[in-house]
Amino acid sequence: MQRLIRTGSFILLLLSGVSITAAVNASQAGSLKVFACEPEWASLVKELGGERIDAFSATSAYQDPHHIEARPSLIARLRQANLLLCTGADLEVGWLPMLLRQAGNQKVRVDQPGYFEAAAQVTRLDIPQQLDRSMGDLHAAGNPHVHLDPRRIQDIAEALLGRLIEIDPAGEAIYQQAYNDFTKRWQDAMQRWQQQAAPLKGQRIVVQHRDWLYLFDWLGIEIAGTLEPRPGLPTTAAHLQSLKKKLQQSPARMIVHAPHQSPRSAQKFARLSDLPVLELPYTVGGTADTQNLFALFDQIIASLTGPADE
Amino acid sequence: MSDAIHWTLSDFAILLPALLAGLLVTVTHVPLGQRVLARGIIFLDLAIAQVAGLGIIIAHSFHWQPGGWQTQLIAMGAAIAGVLLLNFSERHWPQIQEALIGSMFVLASSVGILLLASNPHGGDQLKDLLVGQILWVSYQQLVLVAVLYAAVLGLWFKFRQQQSSLLFYLLFAVSITASVQLVGIYLVFASLILPALAIRRLTAYALPLGYLLSVLAYALGLYLSALADLPAGAVIVVCLSGLSLLAALLLPSLLSGLQKQHR
Repeated sequence: MQRLIRTGSFILLLLSGVSITAAVNASQAGSLKVFACEPEWASLVKELGGERIDAFSATSAYQDPHHIEARPSLIARLRQANLLLCTGADLEVGWLPMLLRQAGNQKVRVDQPGYFEAAAQVTRLDIPQQLDRSMGDLHAAGNPHVHLDPRRIQDIAEALLGRLIEIDPAGEAIYQQAYNDFTKRWQDAMQRWQQQAAPLKGQRIVVQHRDWLYLFDWLGIEIAGTLEPRPGLPTTAAHLQSLKKKLQQSPARMIVHAPHQSPRSAQKFARLSDLPVLELPYTVGGTADTQNLFALFDQIIASLTGPADE
Repeated sequence: MSDAIHWTLSDFAILLPALLAGLLVTVTHVPLGQRVLARGIIFLDLAIAQVAGLGIIIAHSFHWQPGGWQTQLIAMGAAIAGVLLLNFSERHWPQIQEALIGSMFVLASSVGILLLASNPHGGDQLKDLLVGQILWVSYQQLVLVAVLYAAVLGLWFKFRQQQSSLLFYLLFAVSITASVQLVGIYLVFASLILPALAIRRLTAYALPLGYLLSVLAYALGLYLSALADLPAGAVIVVCLSGLSLLAALLLPSLLSGLQKQHR
């Protein structure tokens, strides 16, 4: 028994030794720490803060931001953050409240300047007339996928600039200059994208989930139907059949889904309807050529206007 | 995304609620697990946990809050109804008890899937029930469970000698209903069965060593999940398995050697 206790305390000693080494390493990096819920916001805040910002994204392009697995590092990161930067509009309602509670960081509490919701800065679409849970995964605050409209990105960037200056006044000149620079490049890019995407106007596209709503709203594309019978629910054979009938009267150009969604329902409907399937990058970081917001929209426009024969 | 995080000593405090949840589960589940193993009804906890989970799903379809008392009442009621049924079947058809327990498990799971079919987050909820979210445990939850477990343990050690089948089943239902919501079905199963397996052949210090083993596994699992940035529940299950295997291999000879020395 004594030998056991000795071995046990040796292991504990070893573990605490490692923790103290970790503590010594911790006092580096004096920059503004930003905890972004999704990669698009980490990318945006880096455009506005550059070197002054240490941004981290809780989810990757391959994850559905509706739901994530709890990991200790998420709590630790949020604990150290100066700014929490999320989509809001209930997108993260399944995990962010718990994460905020466990982190206990007063600076990023919901009523503090350190808490920033991107969707709250812009007008949202799909706000339900009446709330009814039987309608599926409807967000009372409207469709949360606002980052796919570059006009809204511009508005969010402006609001974010104000917030960065409020939290970190010493960096005002840097943020302001980076914002001006970003705005100029963004407006130029938007003109380019709109020209490239002009032929898409008035086209009809079938989507898996209404996460493309803001993109299509910007480009004048019409959602011809969704593969999900109700938001967030898996598709059913009956639903696909009725969608096929609907499309016979007014045809669609293609089926679009995001990389974090399984392509199976899109492929199934492709066999049924003979429509091509397009996997469209949904956010920053999905592939090697979508490493920032500019590249993301370059890719989205190129894929949508490219030959639809996948 | 994968760049290392700087862990300070105070950062490890964020793991404290999870560690306390682990301690609470350990205190009740190791002795319960010993009895489950002795009776040879290993899948009892999976079945009862699933039935309690079914209760939570039913409560959810009435739009009651997950932590609310109505939800707890329904979950507890479902689990108790389940054990009463199993207590009845054990007395009348003991030879098919294990088969009935297994059937109860798949039936409860399947009814749960049907109830969640029209719920957009149904898949997530089923997964949460299995894997659990030990890191999201709040102190408020811990206090409630601690009070409940104190009562369970009091009754357990008071009436341990009587070997009442009904009492065992009832205490089991109450404990599992609470622990499933705290740490998920996988960890509940692991905490019940693995330490109990490790100490099965010990003649002395069995329960204290089971406790020590389980607590060490929770602490090590949380620590490793923090360093490696992995989901905590799954890492703890792996640690429980590893430490239990080690203990089962080493402890019997170690203990008998010590006893010889003392003589």
